[in-house]
Amino acid sequence: MAENAVQRQTILSLRDTIARIENCSLPGIVRTAKAADAAGFRRGREGTLHRKVLPLGIAPLDDVLKGGLPLEGMMEIRNAETRDAGAAAGFVAALAVLYQQERKEKGHLAPVLWISQALASREAGQLYAPGLKSYGLDPERFLFVSARTVKDALWITETALSVPVFAAVVLEIRGNPACLALSESRRLHVRAGAGGVPLLLFRQAGEEEASSAFFRFQIKPAPAGERPLPDGSVLCGSIDHPAFHLLVEKSRAYAAADIFLEWNAHDRRFYPLDERRSAALQANGQPENPVDPLSASAGRSRRAQPLGRLLAFARAS
Amino acid sequence: MRLVALDTLAERIGLKRGQGAAEARAMCPALDVIAADPAADQAFLEGLADWCDRYTPLVALDGKDGLFLDITGCAHLHGGEKGLISDVLSRLFSLGVEARATVSSSAGLSWAAARYGNVAVIEPGEADRVLAPLPVAALRLPAETAAALERVGLKQIGDLLEAPRPPLARRFGSLLLLRLDQARGEADEPLSPRLPVPSFSAERRLAEPLMDEEYILELTRHLAKDVRASLERHGEGGRLFELLLFRVDGRVFRVRAHAAIPLNDADRIAALFRERLQAVHDDLDAGYGFEILRLAVLRSERLDPAQQDFSGVPEESQPLAAFIDKVSARFGPDCLMQASLAESHLPERAGGFAAVRDVAALMGSPASEDKAFPENRPLRIFTHPERVEATAEVPDGAPRSFNWRKTQYRVARAEGPERIAAEWWIDGEGHPTRDYFRVEDQEGRRFWLFREGLYGREVAAARWFMHGVFA
Repeated sequence: MAENAVQRQTILSLRDTIARIENCSLPGIVRTAKAADAAGFRRGREGTLHRKVLPLGIAPLDDVLKGGLPLEGMMEIRNAETRDAGAAAGFVAALAVLYQQERKEKGHLAPVLWISQALASREAGQLYAPGLKSYGLDPERFLFVSARTVKDALWITETALSVPVFAAVVLEIRGNPACLALSESRRLHVRAGAGGVPLLLFRQAGEEEASSAFFRFQIKPAPAGERPLPDGSVLCGSIDHPAFHLLVEKSRAYAAADIFLEWNAHDRRFYPLDERRSAALQANGQPENPVDPLSASAGRSRRAQPLGRLLAFARAS
Repeated sequence: MRLVALDTLAERIGLKRGQGAAEARAMCPALDVIAADPAADQAFLEGLADWCDRYTPLVALDGKDGLFLDITGCAHLHGGEKGLISDVLSRLFSLGVEARATVSSSAGLSWAAARYGNVAVIEPGEADRVLAPLPVAALRLPAETAAALERVGLKQIGDLLEAPRPPLARRFGSLLLLRLDQARGEADEPLSPRLPVPSFSAERRLAEPLMDEEYILELTRHLAKDVRASLERHGEGGRLFELLLFRVDGRVFRVRAHAAIPLNDADRIAALFRERLQAVHDDLDAGYGFEILRLAVLRSERLDPAQQDFSGVPEESQPLAAFIDKVSARFGPDCLMQASLAESHLPERAGGFAAVRDVAALMGSPASEDKAFPENRPLRIFTHPERVEATAEVPDGAPRSFNWRKTQYRVARAEGPERIAAEWWIDGEGHPTRDYFRVEDQEGRRFWLFREGLYGREVAAARWFMHGVFA
């Protein structure tokens, strides 16, 4: 009987530890057990579980984010192919604008730091200052670092996270380099949490990889809307605010479906795409001109994927 | 092949400069002939000039084989002029350099006495007595002037001193008299030092050479404290610091560190060099250690003293400046960049990134005047626009489909054209006009394409380029 109780206690405390590591609210069973027998648990932890968030005002996304964008810690945003880097960079820049805006409302003018591996900038294009300005970012408060290697980029990121001046730090990496594995991402996540700085890990043309980030999103391009006319109709064939197709790849909460968003640079906020359009986009599954994805440099010991598509298996007999 | 330089032994055998190498070999078969390398000689002389920085900051190169040191006000630090000269010569001797030196009140006199005389220190007023027995070549004259003087029997400088001046000037030009006056100290001769003299510096001479990086940094912090006193007196802070490390064997290392804001705090200055020394770690070979360390402020700016509050928390731009310093000390001053916008029509010129200049602006209040900039610019731009194969309506139509990076894209929607003509006041006339289109493909990727040249007017077949990607 007594042995049974000890085992149960051990399991509960392990669950508690796991929940604390995951920075999440306690699972129901632990909470009930705690309510029944408070003496067995350490107190004073619940306060730290409360995260600071920045709500986006979009219900499905806020649900996935559990309230809003985290104001400290790491988030990962990736895109599958280099040609989608524009869309992903747009989403990352939009988040940076939101973070900067939030700091501005609190009365601090804080710069955004964008650290980019030189290879990533070369492949997908350099950031363009007038473009950033028209996108809503304050170009006077924008610092850009081009790091030659991933290691240099990581060093700069870690240094930046220890300085509490940046509204957000963006780390742009190409592919899945071996020197940014789980332990390094954990380290960055902890640093970002301790420094109180949001870190956006932007993985360009990278594969899905385990990391310590709160969330991981994959960004795909989505067709933009058409410019509205004063009489309520739209200007046919015009291109309005940029739209994004968001796939939630890692989150604490369940994501029901893909999320479609539109960034309004003038209002500096996201709007959900109206339902008719997102339903149409959701249905439109296979692209018309598919490309065989060639993953960018990966530091894993993995064989190269054969090119082309497998049409038929060899006869077994 | 001719001989250009000889060592003492070769001179004793009777070889001469300018002699043919074959002839010299015939005179002395065991002769060791080494090909001349003027660039390496020059580098060595500059290395020696660096080394001479230990005596005075004013060191000037003199031709291929000499150095001028302006020791005004420095001699007493090394035991007077005699002490200084014996120190220089003995140290150079132990480095394996054969050198001669003279201290005098003018550069010309020192030059003459060091090369043709054997006096170490010439007191003021003794110039004529020392100069008189020296050959005229000691006046730094062109070879033909010296030869002409010797032809007429004016072989020694003493002969010139006694001769009347106007005929000399008439016959041999004014340079002769200028050189004569310079040697006698009657005409001024400015020296041009190799490096600008730092406005603030502090140095430490060590009895025991230092090798450990930690100790070097600790000493740098002490030097920074010394510099701070003089910086504070002038109300200035340093923006560019240089640490000179004199190695025991005569090599001098210069390590420079930039600061984002004017600094006078010893810890911050030492922190700059901590990163910098780590970055140059492989190039900085301590060898047997460093015997002199000097910290110099090469560029300084006005620093208004700001009062800290009681909590001692520094103001907000300080940690940012520290971060910028740390990163730029490690990766170079141009690695951190700030967006810079320019008023230009050409997209490449309208915006870019430049090294951080003003840290305060990064944190400070937003600029009041907002220049009008075109909307609809891409988020990312290709530094070199990439060639694409596009199908478009002639002459001004938007592309229907294009082939970029070996992939075909069908254009679903397009906006444009936005016509941007070349800036003739910079590029000159004849540069093709560009028509920019903002296009969206069927999956929603938005690109910025342009056609170079107008059909009919500028080009026969226009080329298309990919210039950027939108969000």
